[in-house]
Amino acid sequence: MKFPLSWLREFIDIPDIEIADIVEAFESLGHEVEEAYELNAAFSGVIVGKVVQVAPHPNADKVRVCQVDIGSGVSEIICGAWNFEAGAYVPVAVPGAVLGDDFTITQREIRGIVSNGMICSEAELGLGDDADGIMVLNDDYPGSTDAVGTDFAAIVGYPDLYFDISITPNRPDCMSVVGLARELGARLDLPLVDRMPELDVVEDAVPLTISIQDDRCPRFTARTVRGISVGESPHWMRRRLSLAGMRPINNVVDASNYVMMELGHPSHAFDRLRLGDSIGVRRAVEGETIATLDDLVRTLVADDIVVVDGVDRPVSIGGIMGGASTEVHAESVEVVIESAMWFPPMILHSSKRLQLRSEASARFERGMDPNFTMTTADRVAELLVAHAGGTAGSAYDVYPSPVEPLVIEYPLSETRRILGIDLDTSTSTAYLEKLDFSVTGDDPLRVVVPTRRPDVQRPVDLVEELARLHGFASIPGRVVSGTGGGLPADIIAERKLRRVLTALGLNEAMTFAFIGHQDLDVLRLAENDPRRDAIDVVNPLRDEEGVMRTTLLPGLIKTVAANHARGFVDLGYFEIGKVFLRSGGALPAQPDHLGFILTGERGGDIGGEARSVDVRDGVGIIERLSETMRVGLAIEPAVESGFHPGRCGQVVIDGQVIGTVGELRPSVAAAAGLKGRVVIGELALAPLVAAADPWTLVPPSSYPPVVFDLAFETGADVRAGSVVQTIRSAAGPELESVSIFDVYSGTGIGEGRISIAVRLSLRAADRTLTESEVTPMRKSIVEAVESGHDATLRGSV
Amino acid sequence: MDIREELQALSESAPARIAAASTMEELAAAESDITGKKSPVAAARRMLGKIDPDQRREVGILIKRVAVSLQRDIDARRSVLLLAEETADLAADAIDITLPGRGQTVGTHHIIQQVVDEIIDIFVALGFTVARGPEVETSFYNFTALNIPDTHPSRLETDTLYVDYGDDDEGVLLRTHTSPMQARYMEQNDPPVYVVVPGKVFRSDPLDPTHSPVFHQVEGLAVDTDITFGDLKGTLEMFAKQFLGKDTEVKFIPHYFPFTEPSAEMHAYSNGRWLELLGCGMVNPAVFENVGYDPSVVTGFAFGMGVERLAMVRHGVTDLRYLLENDFRVLRQFV
Repeated sequence: MKFPLSWLREFIDIPDIEIADIVEAFESLGHEVEEAYELNAAFSGVIVGKVVQVAPHPNADKVRVCQVDIGSGVSEIICGAWNFEAGAYVPVAVPGAVLGDDFTITQREIRGIVSNGMICSEAELGLGDDADGIMVLNDDYPGSTDAVGTDFAAIVGYPDLYFDISITPNRPDCMSVVGLARELGARLDLPLVDRMPELDVVEDAVPLTISIQDDRCPRFTARTVRGISVGESPHWMRRRLSLAGMRPINNVVDASNYVMMELGHPSHAFDRLRLGDSIGVRRAVEGETIATLDDLVRTLVADDIVVVDGVDRPVSIGGIMGGASTEVHAESVEVVIESAMWFPPMILHSSKRLQLRSEASARFERGMDPNFTMTTADRVAELLVAHAGGTAGSAYDVYPSPVEPLVIEYPLSETRRILGIDLDTSTSTAYLEKLDFSVTGDDPLRVVVPTRRPDVQRPVDLVEELARLHGFASIPGRVVSGTGGGLPADIIAERKLRRVLTALGLNEAMTFAFIGHQDLDVLRLAENDPRRDAIDVVNPLRDEEGVMRTTLLPGLIKTVAANHARGFVDLGYFEIGKVFLRSGGALPAQPDHLGFILTGERGGDIGGEARSVDVRDGVGIIERLSETMRVGLAIEPAVESGFHPGRCGQVVIDGQVIGTVGELRPSVAAAAGLKGRVVIGELALAPLVAAADPWTLVPPSSYPPVVFDLAFETGADVRAGSVVQTIRSAAGPELESVSIFDVYSGTGIGEGRISIAVRLSLRAADRTLTESEVTPMRKSIVEAVESGHDATLRGSV
Repeated sequence: MDIREELQALSESAPARIAAASTMEELAAAESDITGKKSPVAAARRMLGKIDPDQRREVGILIKRVAVSLQRDIDARRSVLLLAEETADLAADAIDITLPGRGQTVGTHHIIQQVVDEIIDIFVALGFTVARGPEVETSFYNFTALNIPDTHPSRLETDTLYVDYGDDDEGVLLRTHTSPMQARYMEQNDPPVYVVVPGKVFRSDPLDPTHSPVFHQVEGLAVDTDITFGDLKGTLEMFAKQFLGKDTEVKFIPHYFPFTEPSAEMHAYSNGRWLELLGCGMVNPAVFENVGYDPSVVTGFAFGMGVERLAMVRHGVTDLRYLLENDFRVLRQFV
């Protein structure tokens, strides 16, 4: 809502006050001030003068010599304009006046006669485009005839303050100057000047007939004005409309717009002769067309509502825009001013669909006051009588079910319950009365809600009004002490995972939850892979964001590719986030996944040899996660589409596959814009963070270990992991650790065979192990490996 | 020469010999000469039995004093020579101390996650717990349960991203705020409720310096038998002071949200200007009714804040996209 403060001053008598104080007052009421600044005239030293005599210039044909009363005396001024005679009140730039930035007026001789200043046009004063003649003030500039000798700037509204206030959608009543005046008056304790329009009515000879056939138009009011003459609106009206962001059109359209800004309710003027004597409201016919005021032909659907003339021809889209066929034009002499109520959701949908969002539709879609339509029409008529020379005709009103004001019983205890403070009967009553609620009773209060306030329905809505008037700042704060119970286990576990992953050098990424189908193609997922069956976004912003992700890999791959493009290749990233999979339920399954990606080289320190990342770096990360979360994970060889067939494994917990780790096929990596080995892993998070029992400490043994190495020759296809498994099962509780430290083939090892070397540590909790104990343990371990893996012991240390 | 004279001479000459030893070998030779088996000290000890018993004690003390003194000099010299020898050896092992340090890289938590965790921790310390909910959500929980009317413009496809899923007449969508969890949490838990809900939210806004189709919010909800607007103010002001600094000033400005009444925005004074920090309000009784709470028994406050916005305010980020692109150079600044 944009307006100059002078407009607001017509409704409340604001004392001289700092602009910042007004901003704060509006803000404390919930009306955010987007902009506020001073408006100053583009001139100084211009005063109001009265032309008392006009005579020809003895030496010039195109100018005249004027005697102008400027209050302090009569000045002789030469003027080249011919649009005035004696009796005109005019703006006079006296010597010393400054127009624009630097045009200083001085006494000047014109063909032998000294001109003591200049009578000015709109254009010269920066007030408008009109440069054809000087400004004749008189009746178009109220107050000018009493202002001879005074500052002309005041006549055209300077200085002034400009405000742009954003109105929340629950307050359609504040989309008007009077609405904001009521609010500001309530805050500053200033009474509202609430005047009603005054009309001398001459009833229509031929009355209008009105027929409403759609209950989405609960009230239809009209008033006719005859004998108007269409022309330009007075300057003050055009100025206010312009400041309000509306383009002045003519004195009829301007009057309607002016009243909408002033009082809030939109109206529309039809040319009576073009409209005829009948007017109706009905549901639109599917496919029906209407040429609207903006000269576009609109095709309507059955949910729209139209105003029609006597032959059922649409003349307006109800509440949204008038039709071209009944538009007020230069020769219009009689108008019908419509001021109606329209069903808000209908206005919202129709205006959005037609892309015809206007000041009027914005008001109707939020809800106007059904009991204000007649005042609106009358106020427009009043302006037309005053500024278009018309005579008010008859009023018409179809209002089958008048809306009664709502009455709310308000127990004062609600104030304490919701706000935490007490406001007594007289304080509460005073606050509400300032906002034009009528209040009776002590406790509960009986509150009558003005019908312009659709937002106030229940006692809690009155709590808000009391809080606003009392001031949010005046309500003391108190810090809650909750009983919520702290961080849940899943978040504690997830934070631990994040800490481990970052300690391992990975950076956390957050990527969008939607991807494109092409991202799944890049991964070369199998045709029957369920991740291919991604859920479509109905209205995606971009095709690349057309489906919900079923895997974190595309986001991670794109993150790394973007960083490669920026010159960073030795990277590790991880992400924890949801994927979206079809399920039987009302919503998709949305499990959290953990994904990671590694690229480039590691260990390239001075004097050290850099090596490419490979799948074992990925396995290492999974092992560390497994340790941290105390989950027994195993990696099993696997072949998956898109992965290096010899460097891919499934991650298994208790026989259940929870994810994959591996290197991308080089061709897949290349298609994704990545070079070199790309290690990726993706796991379902839930099995990892499943709440484990609190860990019970195992006291460390104070006895020495027995450490020895074993090397076995076995088949090349034997997996090291299975040898370790065998050793673990064969060894007793004294096995402290077993680790593989070498895998070798070549000289000394048979064809198709490999050597796997392991280091074991045995230690007892309660004694030093003796040679006689260790020997049989070693023997049973060796026998288990030899028999289980077609192996032979190569050596032992 | 008298034993005493010999010892006196030795104690005068030996220190210079010890000090002159510049290698361990020279020092060993000197030690042998001064205190070894053939040294005057050893000779004196051997002689002691032959001395007049009257003087034996005096001479014995003299021998011991000279021997101890000289041995101390020798040991001190040995320490000096050993240290010099080690220092000489280490010269070959020197390294340019201005070379970069060696060690594994530490990764970084995403700045948004750090801010989320920090917000959560502030509220957990005030007695809140944490819950999370679905990102693909029903229209019912996202709008209807929160008292957002069927006709509200935010339901339109110009504002909300919908997905093609299931047969829900109202539609399945990407939640536009974390507020649906207010309703879900209250349906699943009896009062009192003190919970914060972090998570991703979605809007139909193309990516630009101040908008993103995906961003993060933290929602908060406190419902009890005695929660007032004063609790909302005090609690959120404490949050602002913890998050932005203890001298942070805040103000509460009336606002409008369908799911709270009264509603407010909290603004904070930061870097010389007032900035909108979050939206909040007292839970609308209609929301309580929708989840089966009795609004005549319980009251509550709710709030929602944009995590990216808070991160931008605190870290001077001028373009939202810096927080979304996972640029190595950006993330590494928040290790």
